[in-house]
Amino acid sequence: MTLNNMADPRRPNKIFRYKPPNTETNPTLEDPTPDYMNLLGMIFSMCGLMLKLKWCAWIAVYCSFISFANSRSSEDTKQMMSSFMLSISAVVMSYLQNPQPMSPPW
Amino acid sequence: MRHLVFLLPALLLLLALPDTRGRYNDDFDDGEDIAEFDDNDFAEFEDVGEDPAVDVEKEPPPRAAPSSTPIEDDEDEATVENEDGQDEFEDGDAQEQDMYSKYDNEEFEGYEKSNPSFKDTLIYREVPAHLQNSWESYYMEILMVTGLLAYIMNYIIGKNKNSRLAQAWFNSHRELLESNFALVGDDGTSKEATSTGKLNQENEHIYNLWCSGRVCCEGMLIQLKFLKRQDLLNVLARMMRPVCDQVQVKVTLNDDDMDTFVFAVGSRKAMARLQKEMQDLSEFCGDKPKSGAKYGLPESLSILSEMGEVTDGVMDSKMVHYLTGHADKIESIHFSDQFSGPKVMQEEGQPLKLPETKKTLLFTFNVPGMGNTSPKDMDSLLPLMNLVIYSIDKVKKLRLNREGKQKADRNRARVEENFLKQTHNQRQEAAQTRREEKKRAEKERIMNEEDPERQRRLEEAAQRRDQKKLEKKQMKMKQIKVKAIHTHTHTHTHIRS
Repeated sequence: MTLNNMADPRRPNKIFRYKPPNTETNPTLEDPTPDYMNLLGMIFSMCGLMLKLKWCAWIAVYCSFISFANSRSSEDTKQMMSSFMLSISAVVMSYLQNPQPMSPPW
Repeated sequence: MRHLVFLLPALLLLLALPDTRGRYNDDFDDGEDIAEFDDNDFAEFEDVGEDPAVDVEKEPPPRAAPSSTPIEDDEDEATVENEDGQDEFEDGDAQEQDMYSKYDNEEFEGYEKSNPSFKDTLIYREVPAHLQNSWESYYMEILMVTGLLAYIMNYIIGKNKNSRLAQAWFNSHRELLESNFALVGDDGTSKEATSTGKLNQENEHIYNLWCSGRVCCEGMLIQLKFLKRQDLLNVLARMMRPVCDQVQVKVTLNDDDMDTFVFAVGSRKAMARLQKEMQDLSEFCGDKPKSGAKYGLPESLSILSEMGEVTDGVMDSKMVHYLTGHADKIESIHFSDQFSGPKVMQEEGQPLKLPETKKTLLFTFNVPGMGNTSPKDMDSLLPLMNLVIYSIDKVKKLRLNREGKQKADRNRARVEENFLKQTHNQRQEAAQTRREEKKRAEKERIMNEEDPERQRRLEEAAQRRDQKKLEKKQMKMKQIKVKAIHTHTHTHTHIRS
């Protein structure tokens, strides 16, 4: 530590700018959770809309929430919002078509 | 005259009667019925009781003849049967008893016969849930919404906790970093290279900090890899399997800042894992991780090294002091001049190039607390940052002696050769396929040419090209042969002389 006191180790002329690591060359570093959850959410919401299954629509809402929680800040918010809106619309449509409450599977 | 007097009221009566009958016909009938009810309060039930009994009696006969006869027989012995029936009903539904206890049992002749048939025909259906008009039927939906609310609450709480931890870390380390680096905090987007002085948030659980502008290194990237506290699923998974928050420091060096060696020290598990995962450690440090007891390190740490001289050079007293003092927080420390990251899975048929290497020092530290960290725990990581700074300066000064350098150079040459050998076949195949594709493309062009003249000309041109290639090859082979003979005779003459 005394060495550092004697001479200032900072060198303003040796500054390098930050380069974000290229994730294309190293796909293993990326966390795939938000992408998977996004895809799952879309599939479930389509199932819920087409097959009129209420539980599918609810799971889709959960998937889009999980995808949002795990997303990177650099990701497009439009994608998140679209999957979110799709899942909410799946839930609403299922209930409009069939106002009966959901029956538990047991 | 008297006759007339008598006749008149009689006539009047006669005239009135049909009117009354006509006007009050229904009422009169009802009146008759009402009069009857006044006498017997429960006569209506008697009728009702008898009618269904009658209907029911009518039903079973078409269904089953034998069942009707007992009914008719029992009607004659009504009282006896009723008593039996009464016993039945005492054991039966309390509800039925409550309803019928006020009634005289004699009222119900043949009641017990009709009752079982009542049970057959009376089925209480449930009102469908959506017509019930109560919130209780929607309990699954309420559960779902509560789950979502819980998730949102956890998201907010987790995000805030991670943010506070990151800020606490930065506050405790800011002074040290600012005294060592000219640039603290850069996101790469601004035009001027000025310190932002704050962490770069990549995620709700990952924070970056880039420091640069120091002797002995190019730059330092610090990654605060916290747990995913904002994701409820992750929180629940962590209850099964506890994990630590991690701080990862990656120092990139210039070419003259480090001599050529590969070295790693860390917890046993981490060393075993890194040896399999990391490209450079698997190639240069072939031996199993060794215990550091020789240098005074605790048993929990093990060492991976290219050669013993490197370990001796790195493990000086101060380093040992740091390592023993904070062994629980050290996951791995990795110095390498051939660092290229983890092994990348190669796809088949792709020509391989040697992965790009960079002189790097990589430190991974565990935050104490095993997930339940508080902002105060961040202060305990400060000595580890001192360790990092010390290592940077040390690596600059560490130079291998001549023997060590030769060994290191030989190792690197060996690794490169192995790599080329492995990829030789693949590269040949790739070149072959490229050549074949070219030929095929040319042939196709020739075939597609409609003009026969042009076709002939193109074919001739292709033939000439092939001939030239053959000739070139033959020339090369001749040259090689001549050279071989020449050197052979040369060495022979040398030996002889």
